[in-house]
Amino acid sequence: MIRYLLKRLFWMVPLLVGISLVSFLIMHLAPGDITNTEASFNPKASEESRQKLRELYNLDKPVIVQYGLWLKRMVKLDFGTSFASHQRPVFWETKDAEGNVIKGMIQEALPITLLINVLSLGLIIFAAVPLGVVSAITQNRPPDRAITLFVFIGFAIPGFWLALMLMYWTGVVNDWLPISGIHSLTHDKMSAWGQMWDTLTHLALPVFISGLSGLAGISLFIRNGMLDVLHQDYITTARAKGLAENTVVYRHALRNAMLPLITILGLAIPGLIGGSVIAESIFAIPGMGKLFYDAVLMRDFPVIMGILTIGSALTLLGNLIADIAYAWADPRVRRGVM
Amino acid sequence: MHNKWRHALANPLALSGFIIIFSILLLAALAPLIAPYDPNAIDVKAILLPPSLQHLMGTDGLGRDVFSRMLFGAQISLLVGFVAVGIATSIGIVLGAISGYYRGWVDVVIMRLVDVMLSIPTFFLILAVIAFLTPSIWNIMIVIGLTSWMGVTRLVRAEFLSLRGREFVMASETLGARDARMIFIHMLPNSLTPIMVSFVLGVASAVLVESGLSFLGLGVQAPQASWGNILTDGKEYIQFAWWLSLFPGVAILLTVLGYNLLGEGLRDVLDPRTNNTR
Repeated sequence: MIRYLLKRLFWMVPLLVGISLVSFLIMHLAPGDITNTEASFNPKASEESRQKLRELYNLDKPVIVQYGLWLKRMVKLDFGTSFASHQRPVFWETKDAEGNVIKGMIQEALPITLLINVLSLGLIIFAAVPLGVVSAITQNRPPDRAITLFVFIGFAIPGFWLALMLMYWTGVVNDWLPISGIHSLTHDKMSAWGQMWDTLTHLALPVFISGLSGLAGISLFIRNGMLDVLHQDYITTARAKGLAENTVVYRHALRNAMLPLITILGLAIPGLIGGSVIAESIFAIPGMGKLFYDAVLMRDFPVIMGILTIGSALTLLGNLIADIAYAWADPRVRRGVM
Repeated sequence: MHNKWRHALANPLALSGFIIIFSILLLAALAPLIAPYDPNAIDVKAILLPPSLQHLMGTDGLGRDVFSRMLFGAQISLLVGFVAVGIATSIGIVLGAISGYYRGWVDVVIMRLVDVMLSIPTFFLILAVIAFLTPSIWNIMIVIGLTSWMGVTRLVRAEFLSLRGREFVMASETLGARDARMIFIHMLPNSLTPIMVSFVLGVASAVLVESGLSFLGLGVQAPQASWGNILTDGKEYIQFAWWLSLFPGVAILLTVLGYNLLGEGLRDVLDPRTNNTR
């Protein structure tokens, strides 16, 4: 297990270098001096802050040196300060001259996005597994057809449109759910349970929207996995020795069909993080996606680079956790058989 | 091959996908002929009219005819879909072929590059690039193309790796065929089926990405109509004008559904491996 882990960690190094290179290239996409682009789009960027930016990214030095210095700052998780919101630190809190703590922008936004993503993942697993199993054991019969139809629509429906429709239906026409932000105005005066309920009702729609296409994908995946497994010999054996159908399906087949789910969920992370842009900007949720969207509109360059890097690092971390979980669940992997 | 196509259209999934896509292609191609109004003509006397015989899908906040804008929006969404996926597929074929044919360190480098691109959240990557360029329909196509070639690359590589072990390929190699002949005459034509399926499915997701970007105001720019930016207007008027939000959403849904059905149907029919299980 330890050898497997070390090998796995070693492979992350070239990936990290690659990610930093791609991000570095993007930052040099802008024609000419990035500080000029900055100034032309963002009137708030003063000559002083442009000078600061030039120093920050060492734009006067050769490209290789710039990359080296930038890499060094990334390793130290130093993403600089935002242009648009009064020099707030992009990543983590710092103290200003008077000793006041200024919260980092990503520091505040990240937990919200993580909460939404964890809830979406939960929704995906708890809804997709039963859907996939039912679909597989009723293959080509009405329940399977209905679920397959749902899967295709789930894939095809534009999230932002569904969000708009649901907002209109549940928030404007019926007043069932709150449609923006993560708290009510009266949140601070509520009891602990009330606060939790308040947050949950605010997050219900965004979680559903960001989880829907994953839900469709994973239930199709479970269906096909189950169909594969159910045709294998050991299932026939289990049936032949007279086990109840439920035992065969849930104890023997499902456990094996669910194994690859771990990897698939790991691979779904970049989609979930990226998808947060649309859900969060529609529902005005102050998470990473909204932060990123606002930064793109304002051309708030340090924030864009910071989120791009942190988002990729999170993806790598998610994949790492998925691989470790897989190795833990399947002894063949950690012994290097597969 | 002809037989295969006839077979494909007998598949109900593929057939219904084909019908949807064909109708939308037809409407887009005939847009200038059938659009009852100029899609950008502002009419202050006809602001936010509900659907009627004069305006089949109503009018928007500037009095423009939504039906005409939808027709021209169809052109945009198809154009972006095909060009973006065309770019992605070309990159994928070249890199995948090199990777799978030459193997060795070239393969390792290309596959690591694929891993790197896959670890950056795609929508973030697209938005970041757009932040530095100006949003325009051409930039959108290029950016979507440059950020979605990884799947095809892996696919073509896997096909090439498995073809390399096949007898007809080894025979040709033994006869001294040059690399170019091996790649273009023997291996690529035999990989076309999965490439085609991934192309069709790719167009579906490109259409979704384009409409999402346009909805956020970072894609096709006004006054040019796209389904995404009609929806942006719809969001403003959602309480007074449901038709502005309903029609573009349904159009995107149907288009994406059509490509997905066609792609999955083609996969079912053309790929002998999945024929038995489904």
